[in-house]
Amino acid sequence: MNNLEYLFAANVFVWGGIFYYLFRIKKYQQSLQNDLDLIKEAVEKESQK
Amino acid sequence: MSEETKESSSILIWLTALSFLIGMAAIFIYVPTEQMEGAVQRIMYFHIPAAWLAFFSFFIVFICSILFLWKKEREWDIYALASAEIGVIFCSLVLITGPIWARPIWGAWWVWDARLTSTLILWLIYVSYLMLRYQTDVGSMRARFAAVLGIVGFLDIPFIHFSVLWWRTFHPPPKMISPEGLGAGMDPSMVITLLLSLGAFTLLYFVLMGQRIKVEKMKDEVERLKKEYLYTN
Repeated sequence: MNNLEYLFAANVFVWGGIFYYLFRIKKYQQSLQNDLDLIKEAVEKESQK
Repeated sequence: MSEETKESSSILIWLTALSFLIGMAAIFIYVPTEQMEGAVQRIMYFHIPAAWLAFFSFFIVFICSILFLWKKEREWDIYALASAEIGVIFCSLVLITGPIWARPIWGAWWVWDARLTSTLILWLIYVSYLMLRYQTDVGSMRARFAAVLGIVGFLDIPFIHFSVLWWRTFHPPPKMISPEGLGAGMDPSMVITLLLSLGAFTLLYFVLMGQRIKVEKMKDEVERLKKEYLYTN
């Protein structure tokens, strides 16, 4: 009795879950960084006027 | 982020990756296959650490929520939110890996026993905590409501732990922390493998916390700059 398919499925969920969450955090960080750069650029342009 | 913080964060990430590599080698190579359950028993080395991490995360939510209500500092609210999100992720993994392990052993994906039901309730409490955080837009009131829910929700954890001792359940009683001593009901190789896996998951918690806290701080910075920009124009 080995039931390797169950062990495989559990691994897929654990690793898939962890990497998906990390990927989502990284993507969110990138999008926030873009927002920050845009705002800083706008503030800089405004102060030069 | 300062250079020093970046460096220590990168050291932590590499340390976590290394500990997972050692943990995986122990799970799939070092530890012998359990005689009764077969290879599927190796799910235990993911299931228990995921449960530990979920409980630890909710404990941090509990502490940080108390500190937030007491000191009213945004910092504690950020830590509580980050930890709650990680806790929900790992509690979800517990509720997924548990049934996958149970199906070939118990012959059922799910039974409504005290341990499983109270864990599902814990998951629902913290999912509602996150929904409250993401859906309601009432400023600091939202943080206060969430803090109260974060504290109340934690009260379910001792109940989950003792449920297998108070009632007859399908779920086995704790083997790692048993009245006979730490890991007394287990083979030493299994104890070592489980400890390695617990260590790797704990390090992962700190990596995820660091990244999630960074997101919240960046969000605050965006909001602050937006307000500043609108104010000056």
